[in-house]
Amino acid sequence: MTDRTVQVENLVVGYGGRPVLTDISLHINSNEVLCLIGHNGAGKSTLLKAIFGLVPHEGGRILFNGKPAVTEPRAMTMAGMSMVPEGRGVFPGMTVEETMSLGMWAAGVPEKARPERIEWVMSILPMMKKFYRTRAGDLSGGQQQMVSIGRALLSRPRCLLMDEPSIGLAPKLFQDLCGPIRELQQKTGMSILLVEQNVKEALKISDRVVVMKSGRMTWEGQPSELSDNKKLMELY
Amino acid sequence: MLFLQLLANGLQVGAIYALTAAGFSLIFGSTKIFHFAHGATFAIAAYLFHFALAGLGLHWTFAVAVAALSAVVFGVLLDRLMYAPIQRHEGSFFTVFVASFGIGIVVQNLLGSVFGRGFMSVSTPLSNSIEVMPGLYLSPLNGLAVVVAIVCFVALHFFMTHTFIGKGLRALSENPELVRTFGLSPRRLSTYAFALGSLLVVPGAIFTAAGTGINPAVGHHVMLISLAATIVGGIGSLRGAACAGLLIGVAENLAMWKLGTQWSEAITFAILFFFIIFKPSGFFGRATVS
Ligand SMILES: Nc1ncnc2c1ncn2[C@@H]1O[C@H](COP(=O)(O)OP(=O)(O)OP(=O)(O)O)[C@@H](O)[C@H]1O
Ligand SMILES: [Mg+2]
Repeated sequence: MTDRTVQVENLVVGYGGRPVLTDISLHINSNEVLCLIGHNGAGKSTLLKAIFGLVPHEGGRILFNGKPAVTEPRAMTMAGMSMVPEGRGVFPGMTVEETMSLGMWAAGVPEKARPERIEWVMSILPMMKKFYRTRAGDLSGGQQQMVSIGRALLSRPRCLLMDEPSIGLAPKLFQDLCGPIRELQQKTGMSILLVEQNVKEALKISDRVVVMKSGRMTWEGQPSELSDNKKLMELY
Repeated sequence: MLFLQLLANGLQVGAIYALTAAGFSLIFGSTKIFHFAHGATFAIAAYLFHFALAGLGLHWTFAVAVAALSAVVFGVLLDRLMYAPIQRHEGSFFTVFVASFGIGIVVQNLLGSVFGRGFMSVSTPLSNSIEVMPGLYLSPLNGLAVVVAIVCFVALHFFMTHTFIGKGLRALSENPELVRTFGLSPRRLSTYAFALGSLLVVPGAIFTAAGTGINPAVGHHVMLISLAATIVGGIGSLRGAACAGLLIGVAENLAMWKLGTQWSEAITFAILFFFIIFKPSGFFGRATVS
């Protein structure tokens, strides 16, 4: 058996009694990029939030590194998980510098390691240097997204959940970003759960794909099986 | 001369309002908890300062420490024992308001039955007024209140921009869910907000106890004014609360000059209505707190 970073078994999640995820089972291996696709409202974001402990689950269970996950993002962060949320993952009133320092404090990065950690993130996202002292609210959507990704990397997570990171990014920029992230992932053995609408680019860096529809898993396979568009159309 | 006298009084009172309003604004802005019992914190700090100084005969530094400690403990306990459970059960804004209002009344009655319902004031060497010009009486307390308020605001600004807790509180005021996504606990930050916000009433409580004097309803009055100042300043803006507090304090006193004492509270609300009608977002209002 390969090493499973995250294991989700028969997960049921609902908002105020209305079921959104019904019986989801999936796993993320260590050292892999798992791509999750599905139409709008399929429940992708909800699944990510449930894994990260932002929303409670009503049934089933989630294991992280073999241990039951806690419904508390703080605990999950400390255990080595990190999430790039859907939409704007920054505080408009805070500068990028403040956002990063808050992120490191939140992730429990020891004080001594902080300058080096920032350097490390900057080496992955070099464009951030240009607007380091700007208020996040004054940045473009794509720049904000970069900050959000950089912030999520600060803790050097074992498992990174990314909810539509390409939103707001120019296609070219997303392509440029995919390379370093894939490289980083392979170097560190980190696992990534990637939710993307930009399926073409996402599949290029994925090891495995799952498709969701109305709160259920409907397909699992290799990215190569989806490269022919007909199959993809059929699944959606 | 009367004008200068009232201006001096207004600045002192305004400084006290500014600090109390900033405390309320800090708590409300970051936690969205309508902490009406903030006025009770004020009253408790004022009475315990008075009791420590006059009743127990402690040195004033200890009395200040007693006041500060009681304010922080009261604020944090309320957050932990009352607001946290209400939030856990997703209680409405209204539940919070009624609970908080109730606590204010309980505290007012408790203080009344323990310390008496009458006016009390404690005289310190600093309270004695000196006639600096014919007809203009100033006590060191007048100036000290303003200086202390300025020092507190500078310190608060530094805290909010340079410490992790300060940044965390700012983040919490913008987006609690994102705060959780970062891996921070809004609950824990809430405790800090209450500790800090409650601490901000302490100078005002002390200056009131040592100056104009206190009665059990003092918290209620200060709270009402602070609330107006918070709205006039723009909800969630500490700078706005500070300026508005000062403005109201001065306006209240200058109103006495032309209109007579009975108008002082009305003027506060006249200012409030003016802002609600002509500039609903307040001095430095941001549209983010909604
Ligand atoms: N906070 C919430 N309260 C109530 N219902 C919600 C909430 N968040 C999501 N939902 C509902 O849950 C369902 C799944 O939403 P979710 O955001 O997980 O979908 P998604 O797959 O991420 O969609 P998209 O591709 O548009 O981001 C939707 O029907 C949505 O209306
Ligand atoms: Mg989504």
